[in-house]
Amino acid sequence: MIDFIQNLISGIAVGCIYALAALGFVLVYKSSRVINFSNGQFIAIGAFAAYALTVWVGLPVLLAALLAMLLTAGLGFLVERVFLRRMVGQPIISVIMVTIGLASVLDGLMYLTPFGSGNFTFPQFLPPGGLELAGINISYPQLMAIGFTMVFLLLFGWFFQRSVLGIAMRAVADDQMASMSLGVSVRRVFGLAWAVAGLTAAAAGIVVGTVSGLNQDGLIAIGLAVFPAVILGGLDSVPGAVVGGIVIGVLQSFSTAYLDGVLGQIGLVGGGSQYAVPFVVLLVMLWFKPHGLFGTEEIERV
Amino acid sequence: MRNPWAQTGNYRTSYEQDTTIFANYREIVSVVLLLVALCLLPLFLERSQVLVLNFILIYAIAVLGLNITTGYAGLISVGQAAFMGVGAYTVALAAPSLPFWLTIPLGGFVAAIAGFIVGIPSLRVKHLYLALATLAFQEIFVWVVGRSPALAQGAAIPVEMRNFLGLEISFRNHNYFWYYIILFVLVLMVIAWRNLLRGKYGRALIAVRDNDRAADAMGMDPGRTKLFAFALGAFYGGVAGGLLAYMQRAVVVEEFTLARSVTLLAMAIVGGLGTVVGSLLGPAFMKFLQIYVERLSEWMKANPFIQSITPAGVDVASALLPLSFGLVIVLFLVFEPRGLYNWWRLLRSYFRTWPFKY
Repeated sequence: MIDFIQNLISGIAVGCIYALAALGFVLVYKSSRVINFSNGQFIAIGAFAAYALTVWVGLPVLLAALLAMLLTAGLGFLVERVFLRRMVGQPIISVIMVTIGLASVLDGLMYLTPFGSGNFTFPQFLPPGGLELAGINISYPQLMAIGFTMVFLLLFGWFFQRSVLGIAMRAVADDQMASMSLGVSVRRVFGLAWAVAGLTAAAAGIVVGTVSGLNQDGLIAIGLAVFPAVILGGLDSVPGAVVGGIVIGVLQSFSTAYLDGVLGQIGLVGGGSQYAVPFVVLLVMLWFKPHGLFGTEEIERV
Repeated sequence: MRNPWAQTGNYRTSYEQDTTIFANYREIVSVVLLLVALCLLPLFLERSQVLVLNFILIYAIAVLGLNITTGYAGLISVGQAAFMGVGAYTVALAAPSLPFWLTIPLGGFVAAIAGFIVGIPSLRVKHLYLALATLAFQEIFVWVVGRSPALAQGAAIPVEMRNFLGLEISFRNHNYFWYYIILFVLVLMVIAWRNLLRGKYGRALIAVRDNDRAADAMGMDPGRTKLFAFALGAFYGGVAGGLLAYMQRAVVVEEFTLARSVTLLAMAIVGGLGTVVGSLLGPAFMKFLQIYVERLSEWMKANPFIQSITPAGVDVASALLPLSFGLVIVLFLVFEPRGLYNWWRLLRSYFRTWPFKY
């Protein structure tokens, strides 16, 4: 039982990372119907920027994290302005391919820095050990991941419910034409959505940095694991992204703990089922409930 | 009566004429000339150059398949490399007991079944979701192969074929022999492709891509049409994978990763979606780009000045390839979405109307 809860908690901590990354993804999809394949690269850039600012420049961790998030937000805005804006009105395949090409370009640019290969660890700023609760140990990085995500979600909730910009973004997501006629600048909203996507991706990357080490391939893999999370939650649902992310994280943690052994017995060696399980979930969801748990069901008889 | 040889355009006046493959005699002649040139080409090339040519033709087959799913049915597939992998592994497992002219179609059929299964969501949902289904299949495929002891956990499985109808296939003539086999298969596949799109099923694909509701109203079943497109595209991929297995004499999982799927999609887009010429030009362009970028990074590694300005721990070679591929994809999409095919079309019309401008 203790093991079970322990696995659950570490799953939730990882799931928070997915939830953060999925948040920006869903926002971009909601406002501009673009599926962003370069999310993992944004996560990596955010994490590495934070690392460089703390370790190389020597800034305090929180300030570095903030700067890294702003930097990645700027990158997201720039990407929208330079590439995605040209693609408005183009077929969907072109738009998706642009984000795939962009992912490749960003990959190449990262390989040009020392971050392209090798592992990096954030400097320890949290005390070692963790909270002991009835025999269950929650490490401080895990606690921080969960707390950080909660704070972020509250901020986002406030932003979308109360601020003018957030309401404008929701309006555009709901009906572009109507919001245009009411004076909302749809272009600015698109740019803002990308900036927010960059910001949340960087936040996810920084959380990864505190929970585990940084490694380019690992960070990009998180970008891919966001797809199962958003399909599970529903592509266009913000709460769905959070729930989906956490569920995927927990599933991954459980499959490492329980499924790997079972698979070993039927002849699949090497374990690592945590990498495949999210995609099995994705495929099964697409077969049986393609619009996810919370997504809008577009009923079409074609 | 017009002189059919001097025909400059499309003079079709009836439905029967419209269903012919070639618009005029010039097209027939140019296709025949191209085929003869392709048959004679290896005689002037070295072994390593034929190898490059083999790769291009194999990718051309896979890209043709992608052009059915993506180019004609409008379904984005980021799993074509995995379908190639299904074909390749089928061939690797069947090769010891069956001749190659059976294993390659078999690989295609197994891949088609995989494509069918992956395409099942298309009965209910549309493009974006389907792209994610192919992504999931791609990731699951690589994972399963990497963990299966029966498939050597993704390490090389040898695929041997020593002789064919008494012809000894050795190290010396291996590439040449497979060049002609691949060319033959490619020609068959192109003919099938061209004919498919003249018929009922191919036209249904285009109709569903352009407007699925209208297609539905006119009596086509969009879901089934998309499934058919998935299965057929995967069949092409499987055949290409089988040929790749024989040509490389081994199957390795690294050939069938997500990165390769993206490269295949890039080939289709660079060449021009939905065209035969583009399916040949795209792979050729990307393959040569890869070769020259690799050569450039070799040179950069050897150059002492560039060595001195790169920081420690940076591998320029591994950076240049994704960088150039990504740039090519983005630049083509932004500036020439119709791909190299459009340049080819402009060039052809220039020569056809010469000395006039149009």
